[in-house]
Amino acid sequence: MATRSRRVHGALIAVSLSPWLFAGSARAQEPAAPPADAPVQLPEAAPPALTPEELKEIEDALGSDASASQQQAPSGTATPPPSTPGGSNRLSLPGTGNGAGSNLLDLSFILDVAAAAFTDKQPLQSGAHDPTRNGFNLQQLELSIGSVVDPYFRFDGNLVFGQFGVEIEEAYGTTLALPYNLQVRAGQFLTRFGRINATHPHSWDFVDQPFAVGRIFGAEANRGLGAEVSWLAPLPWYVEVIGSSTDATGEATARSFLGATSERVQSPLDLQLTGVVKQFFPLSEDLSLMWGLSTATGPNPTGYRNRTDVFGTDVYLRYRPITRAHDTTLITFQAEAFYRRRQVPGNVLTDFNTYAQAAWRFSPRWATALRYELGTAARGEGGERVLDPLDPEWTESRNRVSVNVSFWPTEFSRLRLQAGRDRAGWRDEAGYSLMLALELVTGAHGAHAF
Amino acid sequence: MRPTRLFAAVCAAIALFAAAPARADLRVVTTLPDLAALTKAVGGKHVQVQALALSSQDPHFVDAKPNLALALNRADLLIAVGLDLEIGWLPTLQVGARNSKILVGAPGYLVASQFAKLLEVPTAQVDRGQGDVHPGGNPHFLYDPRQALAVARGITDRLAQLDPKNAEAYRANLATFTTDLEKAREGWEQRLTALRGQPVIAYHRTTAYLSDWLGFETIAFLEPKPGIPPNPSHVAGVLAQGRQRKARMVLMESYYPDTTARLVASKIPAPLVTLHGGTDFKAGETYIQHINEMVERLEKGLAGKGS
Repeated sequence: MATRSRRVHGALIAVSLSPWLFAGSARAQEPAAPPADAPVQLPEAAPPALTPEELKEIEDALGSDASASQQQAPSGTATPPPSTPGGSNRLSLPGTGNGAGSNLLDLSFILDVAAAAFTDKQPLQSGAHDPTRNGFNLQQLELSIGSVVDPYFRFDGNLVFGQFGVEIEEAYGTTLALPYNLQVRAGQFLTRFGRINATHPHSWDFVDQPFAVGRIFGAEANRGLGAEVSWLAPLPWYVEVIGSSTDATGEATARSFLGATSERVQSPLDLQLTGVVKQFFPLSEDLSLMWGLSTATGPNPTGYRNRTDVFGTDVYLRYRPITRAHDTTLITFQAEAFYRRRQVPGNVLTDFNTYAQAAWRFSPRWATALRYELGTAARGEGGERVLDPLDPEWTESRNRVSVNVSFWPTEFSRLRLQAGRDRAGWRDEAGYSLMLALELVTGAHGAHAF
Repeated sequence: MRPTRLFAAVCAAIALFAAAPARADLRVVTTLPDLAALTKAVGGKHVQVQALALSSQDPHFVDAKPNLALALNRADLLIAVGLDLEIGWLPTLQVGARNSKILVGAPGYLVASQFAKLLEVPTAQVDRGQGDVHPGGNPHFLYDPRQALAVARGITDRLAQLDPKNAEAYRANLATFTTDLEKAREGWEQRLTALRGQPVIAYHRTTAYLSDWLGFETIAFLEPKPGIPPNPSHVAGVLAQGRQRKARMVLMESYYPDTTARLVASKIPAPLVTLHGGTDFKAGETYIQHINEMVERLEKGLAGKGS
């Protein structure tokens, strides 16, 4: 079975490398793009073209400038360059600056707390920020930081404070000035697999994370140290192609891959490779559709060269009648499906997980939402049920239905009451839950992606 | 079809699409349609202009739709209002657009508020307990044609800087636009002299510049604090004030929910005048037509008729 799956891996690698290939072709086309009569950007009084001698002079001058500035530079690279007068320590905080252009660092805290009640002794909540026990729960205190570093990079970080410590959820740099519509992220980041994976509880429609994410990638969702290249295709509609390579370890972040084991990376195939295509269709001013296809592949620790592949698709439909006067309605529909196959000694396990949710903002401050989730038991090559080494108790299908009502006093605070019914086939009876969650956002919080 | 031919066809299609957009000298994207209309007025045929938001849309809450990032990707110049009006949606589009020409600080990024004479700039410390107070000043200055003219001048300078070849054309367009707008403004001011000094109730703090221009007095806002929806006790207070001061009209933008405003207007009684939040640039409206339409509505309001 290893040979059979190898072909699939070839295809996956091709997909995840495709951004680079496409980039190459874009580069090749670039010189052909401007027609002879079009570029009229040059002023009429433009200086005549420089002679090769003049260019050489410029190069020489730049070279001597560069060496001169190196003499002034600090001897080591560990120390930062000397600060310019008035340029340092101007970390402007919201409310203190008087506006235009003084924000060098956006800092915000997001607090999520919840009161919860479960009928199950051991609720099956699988998200690291889910309420998990009766009584009060600290879901998270997130410190998010964002800033432009220099003309070439911006920095984003999310530090999450739990009751037992701090973790670096995300900390990455994003390039700002790469040519050919390319953008690179490097550092620790949530992969852009599917729709919900790359987002934080602050932008979710529900108090808890869909169990599909917790089951496949882990409680913290799929993330890791790595690098990502994305490319915006020069097409009339929005097509973004993303490829990333991340560390495949982490019980809470890559559990279907290497999980808690720590194997030495010997080839690029020992990392998790992710390939994503996202497309956006503005069906009308009021209705838009986002559609994504995702795939992730990486090693798993069950045997030599055993791999795990996850395939996913996601849709997001958003109806907001901005062309109708006095109408603040917002209706969204979001669904994701995950198909996972894992090579284990003597078999290939497959399972399917999905969720679909709809939310309706019926007044400027109020919304209600409904979600259905399904996860099947793992099956072997012949369709027989087999023991899942990651979730041995998951021998039957599980489904969960959640419904909630949210109230936003302002866009900086939110109250949400959510009820759920969790039917896990391997348990004798369904479990019910009730949660009341409060979220507070303070500080300068960056804008959200669509 | 052989794979190589198919590949060639796909490449050709991509090249065609990439080259397809009509080549104006400058591609300008503005956040609000008013800015687009001003840019078109001074840019004329040398610019291709697109607005990210619609005039029927609340400019504070625009969805950062990916196709807007696509527009920014191809832009030579991005013009925003500034003063944190677009802070909830523009930054993410700017980063996602992968176009270093339009990032903050680049010549291809122009903040229009620098040209306006700003009102309601907080002098004391502000925090969010006061609602959505813009720490840099009130950003709704495009209701005042005098401010709009100053912005048009600023846009002209930037267009001339980015596209010196057509600088003269831009300055000529500005001269025409200035004459037209000043002439129209005289007419508007004459038509609305009766509004001077009159008490008016507004929904949101969008009327500062309008009242500065037309001389009416905004005695109360239906929102208890900027961005906070009306609540019963506040509305009762506003109604009492409106009755006592004999408010001449209730002003609101079409993008706010209108049930409360309708109720208050009918109880005062005074006409409810709905303002279009901006120029309907998509439908080809010009800035002068937009203000003219607004003046007509205010005129009707003075005559006791709502709109």
